[in-house]
Amino acid sequence: MPFDRDYVLTIRGLTKTFSGVKALDNVELTVRQGEVHALMGENGAGKSTLMKILIGLLTADSGEILLDGHELKNGDVNEAMKRGIAMIHQEIMAVPELTVAQNIFLGRETTGSLFGWLNDNHLNQQAKQLLDQMGISIRPDTRMKYLSVAEMQMVEIAKAISNDARVIIMDEPTSALSDKEVATLFGIIRDLKQKGVAIIYISHKMDEIFTIADTITVLRDGQYIGTRPAADLDIDRLIAMMVGRELGSLFPESSIRKGNEVLSVRRISRTGAFSDVSFSVHEGEVLGIAGLMGAGRTEVARAIFGLDRISSGEIRIKGQPVVIRSPQDAIQYGIGYVSEDRKGWGFVPRLSVKQNITLASLPNHTKGGLLQEKSETDVATKMIADLRIKTASPDQHVLYLSGGNQQKVVIGKVLLASPDVIILDEPTRGIDIGAKAEIYKLINQLKASGIAIIMISSELPEILGLSDRILVLTKGKQAAMLSKEEATQETIMAYAMQY
Amino acid sequence: MKNTIDPYLKPVRESYRTRVSRLGKAGIFVAFIVVCVALSLITPRFLTVPNLMIIVTQVSINALLAFGVTFVIITGGIDLSLGSMVAVTGVVAALFARSETYPVVVPILAGLLSGLLFGAFNGFVITRSKVPPFIVTLGTMTIGRGLALILSKGRPISNLSDSFNFIGGGQLLGVPMPIIILVVLFAVCSVILRKTVLGRYMYAVGGNEQAAKASGIQINNVKMAVYTMSGLLAALAGIVLTSRITTGQPNAGAGFELDAIAAAIIGGTSTSGGTGTMAGTLIGALLIGVISNGLDLLNVSSYYQQVVMGVIIIGAVVLDSVNQK
Amino acid sequence: MKSTFLTVLTTVLVLTGCNQSDSTQASQGDGGKKLVVGATMLSMQNEFIVNVNDEMAKQAEDAGVELITVDAERSALKQVEQVESFIAQKVDAIIMNPCEVEASSPAVAKALAAKIPIINVNSETSTKPSAFVGSDDVESARIAMKFIADKLGGKGNIVMMHGYMGQAAQIKREQGAREILKQYPGLKLIAHQTAEWDRAKAMDLMENWIQSYGSGVNAVFAHNDEMGMGAVKALTDAGLKNKVIVVSIDAIPDALQAVQKGTLDATVFQNAEQQGSKAIEAAVKLAKGQAVEKETLIPFQLVTKDNVAQFMKKPE
Repeated sequence: MPFDRDYVLTIRGLTKTFSGVKALDNVELTVRQGEVHALMGENGAGKSTLMKILIGLLTADSGEILLDGHELKNGDVNEAMKRGIAMIHQEIMAVPELTVAQNIFLGRETTGSLFGWLNDNHLNQQAKQLLDQMGISIRPDTRMKYLSVAEMQMVEIAKAISNDARVIIMDEPTSALSDKEVATLFGIIRDLKQKGVAIIYISHKMDEIFTIADTITVLRDGQYIGTRPAADLDIDRLIAMMVGRELGSLFPESSIRKGNEVLSVRRISRTGAFSDVSFSVHEGEVLGIAGLMGAGRTEVARAIFGLDRISSGEIRIKGQPVVIRSPQDAIQYGIGYVSEDRKGWGFVPRLSVKQNITLASLPNHTKGGLLQEKSETDVATKMIADLRIKTASPDQHVLYLSGGNQQKVVIGKVLLASPDVIILDEPTRGIDIGAKAEIYKLINQLKASGIAIIMISSELPEILGLSDRILVLTKGKQAAMLSKEEATQETIMAYAMQY
Repeated sequence: MKNTIDPYLKPVRESYRTRVSRLGKAGIFVAFIVVCVALSLITPRFLTVPNLMIIVTQVSINALLAFGVTFVIITGGIDLSLGSMVAVTGVVAALFARSETYPVVVPILAGLLSGLLFGAFNGFVITRSKVPPFIVTLGTMTIGRGLALILSKGRPISNLSDSFNFIGGGQLLGVPMPIIILVVLFAVCSVILRKTVLGRYMYAVGGNEQAAKASGIQINNVKMAVYTMSGLLAALAGIVLTSRITTGQPNAGAGFELDAIAAAIIGGTSTSGGTGTMAGTLIGALLIGVISNGLDLLNVSSYYQQVVMGVIIIGAVVLDSVNQK
Repeated sequence: MKSTFLTVLTTVLVLTGCNQSDSTQASQGDGGKKLVVGATMLSMQNEFIVNVNDEMAKQAEDAGVELITVDAERSALKQVEQVESFIAQKVDAIIMNPCEVEASSPAVAKALAAKIPIINVNSETSTKPSAFVGSDDVESARIAMKFIADKLGGKGNIVMMHGYMGQAAQIKREQGAREILKQYPGLKLIAHQTAEWDRAKAMDLMENWIQSYGSGVNAVFAHNDEMGMGAVKALTDAGLKNKVIVVSIDAIPDALQAVQKGTLDATVFQNAEQQGSKAIEAAVKLAKGQAVEKETLIPFQLVTKDNVAQFMKKPE
């Protein structure tokens, strides 16, 4: 490939091996000035290894990285930073007790005075200028800890810009942002493009990729698959490149007829979270719950599952009013809950796959007070096969599984307690497309087996593709209950943005 | 960009992690064997049946406490009141063991009951308040010391009955009683931890309390159980100690909690909860005992003994933190 | 034991401000008020100290003096603060059972500066107080080691159990023991180690020594009776007691019983009662402005099977 003035970054023949396994095999990547370059691939495809090499955290075995036509020293964090490569992280790494300005200039404080005294006013002025340029209204003297995740991200970007970054890597930058915040972020990204900054953008969200990206490079299993202008691709073709095969339709038609009512809630409220929410869900039915971040969706789910208390209203199971004080109660009544926060509320990382799967139904595997390992193994092995959980063995720690498989373990655990209704809260958050397809298939299987499903999701295609009815919440209130026929992305968004 | 290293180092490759982790777990056993071999090469007095018996006897009290605190640490808690519980329960047992008026079960049951109540009190306060276990048991540590002094009126209680003194000083088929008690309790605690629902719940609570809660586990019951068991085991340690030195000492057991926690940590129980085994803890306790015995045999100054012990504890924790990553 | 509770009760009454109870035959200070003596004790967890304090309480009651006892819990810092609060309360005299030689000294200086007489009981501080009542720890160890030397005919192997390393009592008892060892070249100190004043630790240590030296040990000198009792237990269990002499210091009731039974060969009696009563006596005299001896040394007494009976208390 001849050297091209347009290319700010050229990576060629990069190979990296971990204990004999090739994480990257002869990978290339070329990024132009002022473009948004999406880096796509399933988990384990080598994206993060590549980025770590780029910012100098890892050293490549072979290959070269050219920045503005000059070789970038391998495995040197400081050099990469000095030469203008910056990374905005999934988990923001700011110092919470310092102010915005102090964080932006952390490590290279300019003094503004002869004697080297730190001058906060001076810092604040500089920071304010920078933030104004970006069109962000955050006071530079605010402590970092009082900012929202989105605001922190803006500050990180400001920090990168103040560092004269030429290439900014954004790893899942929107995973914790509301739609409005995403819009602001995209505005900033477009400004950056104008200024000639190149963005390497990593995300699992297809709609985002096609909104913002100019060029897409796909990696699979450590191999370079190809680079295409975004305009030449559509979702299906991109997925085919990523997984190496056609997935078929993500949302197969299902013709299950719904049965009896399993769960209904009437005018339930929880002070400060949601109010007057009413709905019911039947055997073999998927009720989707849509809404923006902070609309109260997760709060409703937590209250039904007994993690929080409702302040008024009624919950009925199969027509009988019940009081749910704790998850134990909820499980007794046949309610299962798969949390949006897999790591926080889903699995126990240092227990094995088997031990996690049996956790909610453990007393079923005892005899004379002692656990029956064989019975546990049998049940877990079956669940691993049924849900197609990819694990070396049932005794593997869940910690070491991929996100999608961790999610399946949690679902398996919930299923073993034989629920009549399952609440799935963002069931595909942060897992890659192949695993997503499997989760969708699984939801349809559960539905076919007569389980009632409540699915909360921020991804509209998912909601539309799977739900029989859709409840839209906005600001803690019930905005609409739409039938499958009535629901489109536009109607849902219209209701979700109401008030 | 220095502070960026952490999130990006997390997805280390599986094989490497499991290898390090396995090494960490085996490390303590290896260390134990190495120390034993070294000592038997240096001094012929180490590897003799009587000396080994003495080591295990001396270790038994610390090991009993360490078993209890292993349960507690696995759930992510800590129990600093162990030493005080040893004193209280020992004094209570001694009060009932003073003459031959009661059969020997009475002082034993009285001691165990006091330990059970003490432990349950710890559990109660910890589960009903939001106060961290460290603070709660720091408080009950002082309360316990005071109770022991009140009950004993500040003086040792001696002239205990022979049947009571048999518990710590007697032998059964040539094996000292403390060793027998140790072996039995090791078996019982191992089974509880590995083979019961309660044991599994301990790992779940310590490994991820929220996920345990969402799995329908009654967190508070699990915590009540572990602190109560810690109290019971401390009571047993108190009874063995009292019987061994044939006096109920209100100031007995001072600092014992640290040795017990050290044994658990050296044995691979992670201070952040969710991992740990009874076998590891037993080896941890034995390692401490062997080193202390060996250094005595070699007539090493106690100043150096403390330094050695500290180095071992730090080494174990470093190993633990390598495991965590 | 009732007296301890009385002490506590008096303390409580005094602290809650019940100073109006002018009893008829009470000793009167210059102002005609009942005399108040503040006492800060090293540790009320230590049996010997409790005995000293009991006797002080008894004597104080007899003399019609109010005695406020506080426990320094082995902390010199706490002790200094306690003396400061006594000074603030304007007590008539202070009795201090010092925690440490150096660190407790500021308390003495402060009391003297406030012109309140201060009496050290049982152990010393580097700053000289108004009066000292106690015994010389070095002497107790000399007596104990002398007994061992006589018993062994000046020849044999000895092990020594230290108290908590670095504490005044440990340092002095070691010093006394070594003085005698020097006089008898035939006595060999083959091992010495701390058992931190603790019976259980002493037992472990003795067991380990038995493994090391078997019957090569002829005598054990322990810095206190608690450790001596631990050594006796370990030796008895090993069937070696009749071959090894054990001597320790303090003459606590357990030790006296053991001496009577013949398991402990000797202990050294430090007279708690006399220390307590002399301390109160000195305090009252100084409070009234009378002269007292600068130093009252209460002699130690060796307790063996022959004279143990006279030290045994009547059962309470």
